[in-house]
Amino acid sequence: MRKHLLALGAILALSPCVMAQKIGVINSMSGPEAPIGENITNGIKLAEEDLKKKGFSLQLVWEDDTGKPQISMSAMEKLATRDNVVGVVGPYTSACSNAVARLAEKYRVPLLIPAAAKEEITRQGFKNVFRMNAPADKYASSLIDAATSLGKPKSIAFIYENTDFGTSTSNTAKDYVAKKGMQVVADVAYPKGSADYRSTLAQIKSKNPDLVFMVSYVADAILLMRQSREVGLQPQAFLGAGAGFTTAEFANERAVSENVISCTQWTEDVNWPGAKEFGKRYKARFGKEPSYHAACAYASMVIMAETARASGGDRAKTRDGLKAGKWNGVMGEVQFADYDGFNNQNNHQMLVEQIISGNYETILPSRFATKKAIYPFPRWK
Amino acid sequence: MAVFMQSLISGILIGGVYALIGIGLTLIFGVMRVINFAHGDILMVGMYLTYLAFTVLGIDPFVSVLITFPLMFLFGGFLQRVFINRVLKAVAQNQILLTIGLGLIMSNTVMLIFTSDYKLITTSYSSSTLKVGGGVSVSTPLLISFLITTAITAVLYWFLLKTDTGQAIRATAQDRDAAQLMGINVKRMSIIAFGLGSALAGTAGALISPTYYIFPQVGAVFTLKAFVITVLGGMGSVVGAMLGGILIGVTESLSAVYISSGWKDVVVFVLFLLVLLFKPSGLMGKSRT
Repeated sequence: MRKHLLALGAILALSPCVMAQKIGVINSMSGPEAPIGENITNGIKLAEEDLKKKGFSLQLVWEDDTGKPQISMSAMEKLATRDNVVGVVGPYTSACSNAVARLAEKYRVPLLIPAAAKEEITRQGFKNVFRMNAPADKYASSLIDAATSLGKPKSIAFIYENTDFGTSTSNTAKDYVAKKGMQVVADVAYPKGSADYRSTLAQIKSKNPDLVFMVSYVADAILLMRQSREVGLQPQAFLGAGAGFTTAEFANERAVSENVISCTQWTEDVNWPGAKEFGKRYKARFGKEPSYHAACAYASMVIMAETARASGGDRAKTRDGLKAGKWNGVMGEVQFADYDGFNNQNNHQMLVEQIISGNYETILPSRFATKKAIYPFPRWK
Repeated sequence: MAVFMQSLISGILIGGVYALIGIGLTLIFGVMRVINFAHGDILMVGMYLTYLAFTVLGIDPFVSVLITFPLMFLFGGFLQRVFINRVLKAVAQNQILLTIGLGLIMSNTVMLIFTSDYKLITTSYSSSTLKVGGGVSVSTPLLISFLITTAITAVLYWFLLKTDTGQAIRATAQDRDAAQLMGINVKRMSIIAFGLGSALAGTAGALISPTYYIFPQVGAVFTLKAFVITVLGGMGSVVGAMLGGILIGVTESLSAVYISSGWKDVVVFVLFLLVLLFKPSGLMGKSRT
């Protein structure tokens, strides 16, 4: 018996392909970010099933960071030192990802971040940190480019929640419009959870901006649009940067969400290989619409597992594999490149969407467009 | 000018709802000298009752006040009878601990049942407005809730001034021992007062739910506001709470426009400190010796 075991051990040691690839997952499975964390969990579960069908012997080690950076960091320490994983996929939020990126570099564990927006994460010259999604600056630039390609806006008003997410997104947007020669006529950071934005919106209305750029989560997004309608704010376009403006709940508020322009990392009807099918299978399996986070997580896990197997479970080789590789899947073409001060950043193509008859329709870039854009914003009824 | 009028009007309308929250708190304090730290959470329970009535039974949020008010009255009476009554003679810290604890239990129970997701009530009139002229518009749901608030406050005022029970409540508030000696059942008055306070908070919850969003921790925002309002108006004074509510609403609204919305809370608290500095018993408070 012992001999057999030894032989088996020898075979396993000699043929890394047979050995299970241990990959760590850090995600916000409970806590305030749990609703989005659920999308990431489900995306990874689908990836795991698909990989196993393809004959991968994959072993995932799940860690819940509850949305807190310090817990995320201890999870990373555990994965790197005790579980000896080949690589890690996650975490979700910008704050957690930024904290964990440092540790990934310290322990030389390849880290693939699926959906955190903060730009700095991949701007610190880290060799082991990779990111799938487009960072926050892309939200701003793709939305403003969309508006300038559709019309001739000259002035813009910013209204955003006074959190890391709100201020960093609107700061990059402000830099970008300065380059475009647009005039910022209002710049308002609001405390999250105020009941009444009417006075602020009335003030913005008095400046008569061509564009209104908003950054908020879902509840505030709906309140802001409702109250914009109440005070009769009438720009050429409402631009909603991410989060609250790209959810099904927001689209369901037909009276106020119609014609709002937003942008996203992924939609079901884009013609990237497997995107449509992924959406269908996700709905069948989990009974919910997948968000872009799910697709990002799915693609990240597939890429990490494939690279880990190809490099025989070696961390340094996996890192080199990620750096050198090119993929084409549900997230379109993926390549971790160095550009504009970013390292190992997938230069992902953002999709600009508009809510038309209650559905999110891709309007730009034109090769992915499903509907023609409606511009300028029609008068409130 | 349109901006000024717009913010003034929204401030007054929001202030009306704040007033309702403040009146509930001040009533409870006046009668029992208990500071109710669970006030915001009681309001949150009222919001979820409204949400349930709307989603399950299809009752309009404003109509559901008719259900919320009595239910919250019973709930408040129950809290008073089972919990608060036991600490009426205890030191203030213990009373505070008890009400904070009750609030935590409420918000966490609601979180277990409904999860921490934000809920929105969308009615046909949620985003509708009335144009007043001069570029100023008024939110219909906010206007309705202001009218209901005014009506409730008027009825409450009449109840406290004219009815026997109302007078008994006021007597208890003025001097608990003397009231008891005059043959007033002060325990019952306490139950009624806490019930009324809770009903008012619950109603306020129902009234804001068409224009605001609902989540289990929403109470904390309003507990703090309720305190500022009651202390500003004078602890125990119903008229003071009304004034305080509207004053806070208008201050928030105007400072959001003319200073910055990030600073509006600072402005409110500076105003609060100034009032306390020059009139320590609050706007309508009588200094007790």
